[in-house]
Order: sequence, then structure tokens, then C-alpha cells
Amino acid sequence: MSTDIIYLDYAATTPVDPRVADIMSAHLTASGNYANPSAIHIAGRSASDAVDRATRQLSALLNCKADELVWTSGATESNNLAIAGAARYRESRGKHLITMPTEHKAVCDVFRALEKQGFDVTWLQPKENGRLRIGDFEAALRDDTQLVSIMSINNETGVLQNIDAIGALCRERDVLFHVDAAQGIGKLPFDLGNLPVDLVSMTAHKLYGPKGIGALYIADRPGCHVEPLLYGGGQQRRIRPGTLPVHLIAAFGLAADIAVASMNNDLLYLQALNERLWAGLSAVSGITRNGSAEHAFPGILNVSIDDIEGESLLLALEPLCVATGSACNSHNKDPSYVLRALGRSDELAQSAIRFSFGRETTEKDIDFAVQGYHAAVAHLRKIAPGRAA
Amino acid sequence: MSSDPYSTRVRQLFASTPHAGAIDDGIIVRVEDQGVRVELSAKVDRDRVIALKFRAWGCPHLIAAAEAFCTGFERQQVAHLKSFAAAGLMQTLAVPVEKTGRILVLEDAVRSLGAAVRKP
Repeated sequence: MSTDIIYLDYAATTPVDPRVADIMSAHLTASGNYANPSAIHIAGRSASDAVDRATRQLSALLNCKADELVWTSGATESNNLAIAGAARYRESRGKHLITMPTEHKAVCDVFRALEKQGFDVTWLQPKENGRLRIGDFEAALRDDTQLVSIMSINNETGVLQNIDAIGALCRERDVLFHVDAAQGIGKLPFDLGNLPVDLVSMTAHKLYGPKGIGALYIADRPGCHVEPLLYGGGQQRRIRPGTLPVHLIAAFGLAADIAVASMNNDLLYLQALNERLWAGLSAVSGITRNGSAEHAFPGILNVSIDDIEGESLLLALEPLCVATGSACNSHNKDPSYVLRALGRSDELAQSAIRFSFGRETTEKDIDFAVQGYHAAVAHLRKIAPGRAA
Repeated sequence: MSSDPYSTRVRQLFASTPHAGAIDDGIIVRVEDQGVRVELSAKVDRDRVIALKFRAWGCPHLIAAAEAFCTGFERQQVAHLKSFAAAGLMQTLAVPVEKTGRILVLEDAVRSLGAAVRKP
């Protein structure tokens, strides 16, 4: 990759921590734990020990039991397994499900598929700041509600949902609560010993780990279970079969371990960067911050601007690497469905830029981003015609 | 195959737009369609276009195409405006097929300019 870029797209993916990369490669070669961890020979047992160690590391980050975690290929699979798996497991009790239209596609699309299979989904609209009204949520709960899925940190806006309050209502009604925490795990405290949640999706590559490995937390409590999506072996209690990728799991474990040690400092650092970025950007006329500033993860700042076209803005910002709309959806030029749900016009949603940063981001990077944004807006405003009267 | 959606030429034209703006005492037309806006202004001396400026709100391909049109059409005959076709520009700039509609907005604007110039 070019060394001239300024990477501010950490919400899409993070670089792998060098320590994590080292442990991953060490598990691939003949001198490492490359064996199949299901094998009962010495090499297999050693690989299995490496998996156990990583599971303990991740469970320590989350304050959960090791056997409450299932390894997956990433948050998309975890979301599919949690939502489709739990809905099917509880289908005989009822077919009502609740989510929001501002969830990640890996959640929304599973619910749409379930709708086609006869499930009844309530899509709760957010407030203008992206947050869910708890009163709306409570009113949406029904006797036949079986599953609720609300993300912890929105991937586009960084808005935090009130997981405690939503989970408490779910527990009162014996409704399973799934949280897509792909953006949250290892970045904000997520204490599963105290949070009233049942299923949590996570991935390593938003946490300075590699792509291709994720996990699903399934609470060890009555009624909380998922039907498998895959068949083919007895691994992971038959919930998710397949040979475990030891190198990726060890890498995720170490990334979790590093997160335990660095989370508080990371958060303070991200907060300072966020404030510096907003202080610089807010001087641009016509700029709007998307989503709540008060209830937001500081590693993400999403802004829209009047009368600027998003694709041109993105090109004018190069060599800044930022996202317009959802990074996972960058080939789709439609205005962000998340920002549309927050009441933004098509044009304002289409002009949105998501800045997201992390441990490797410097104040100099932020200052470069601010200067670049000012210059890009000035360039495009010089070109743009006024609106028709 | 490059993953870059923009050719080198598009990048050059987008980054440097000496024809961006308006000719205050020129003939001005505006077209808005397909979610984009194009404004062209021209100064004409007898049967020749002697100056062209543009303003555009749209994607980089549209801005590049507008700049390329202005650069290429100055000093050409006014009569050619009305028969302008964007196909050549689209080929030169490797405009993706899904953006055809936006570039045709520029074509419409050019033809409208041709019609406006010819009015007595």
C-alpha cells in the first residue's frame, strides 16, 4: 500500500497489530501450532491448547465463560448465526422479531430473509440523533416476540444504543437479545457478566486482528440457543462445525488481550482526536454532524455538508482514506440508508463522510484531514452551480 | 484490470478546472436532471465560441467531462454546439456505462447552449 495515504477508515478495518501478526504467522509454519485442533495426537492437542488459550483471552475481555463463545468467520457469519439460528430455535414459541433499519446490512438482510420465511419483523425507527426511543421499543414488544437485535455502536455514525435498558426489558419478557458489537468489542467496556444480553457478534479485524475470524457469544442460560447454519462435523458443540483456524483464533485472542490492557488509554486518545477533528471541521459552513455527539463512540465522526456531491468529495479528499456511506457498501452509490433513516435528505446523506481512527492515527493525520476537507469543499463549491430558484 | 474507477485523464481534469465559473456577460444555460446540475456559459464572436465556462454538481466523471468539453470547444464554430454528442468524451474519459445518463445531461446543456446562442 502507498505510504502517502492517510488512513482514517478504522471502522471498516484496522491494521493488524504487529504482535498479532507475529503470533498468527508463528502458528502457520512447521514450528508452530499448525495441526488440526480436533486431532488427538500431540500436535493436535497443542493446537487445541492454543485455541483454549485464545478463548480464555477473549472471554477475559468480555467477562464471560469460555464455553459461551463460538468461533466464526467474522461478524457477518456471527450475525447470521445469531439471528437466523435463534429465530429458528424459538420459532415454535412465536415469530415476532424486532430490529432497527439502521443496523448493518449483515443484520438487516438476515431479518429480510426471515420475513420472507414467515417471520414478522418490527423495524423501529431511530430518533434524529440515531438513538432508539426506549418507549418505542417497549411498546413494540409483544407476547410472541422472541428475538431483538440492536447494535452497540453504529458502524456509520458511531452512535451508541442503550444496551442496558433494551436488555433489561428483554429479560423481563424472556425475549432473546442479540447485539452486533462488531464496532464495540475491545473499544468500549463490554461486561457480559453484567449486561443483560444473550447473543453478541464480534470480529477480530476491527480490533487490530486479522480478517476471517469472528466469534459469537451465546449466553449460558435457559432458552438461549441457536440452530446451526452449517453442518458437517461436531466441532464447537455442533453449533458451528469446521476445522478451526488456529492461527486466526490465536491472533484474535492476542488482539483481545492487548485490548484489555489498552482500552482505557485508547478511549482517551480517540476522544482527543475526535474533539480535534470536529473543532477543525465545524468551521466549514454548512457542515452537519450525523448522529448523537453525546452518545457516540469517539473513534467515529460522520459529517454531511450542504451542496457538495459525495463521490466528488471523496476523490477531492485523496490521499485521505475515508468512507462515504457505509464502507462495506462503498460500491453502492445510493445515499446511506442509515442517514436516510435519521431524516437526512438524499443529497445530505450522499455527501456524508465517515472519519474513523485508531491507535495508529496521529494528531498530524487529523490536521491533514481537516485541511484536506476545507480544501476539497472549497474546490467543489467553486465548481458547483447555485440551486435553481 | 485497475480497481481505480477514474482514469488518469479524469483525475487531471477533476483536479484542475480552469474553466470552472461563469462568464458574467455571456450566454448562460442550466440543465438539472439525473440528480446532477450543469451550467454552461459562453461568449461568442460572430460564428465562433471564444470563451466557455462551466459549473457542475455531480460525480468526478461529470466534472471532468465538463472541463474537457470547455477546453476542447473554445474557438470552435457555434453551429457545432447543437449537434454536440457526448459519446466521444465518454470514450476518452472511460466513463462507466452506469453514468451515461449524467454525461447526457452535459450533452443536453451543450445543445441548449447552441440553441440559446442562435437566438437573435
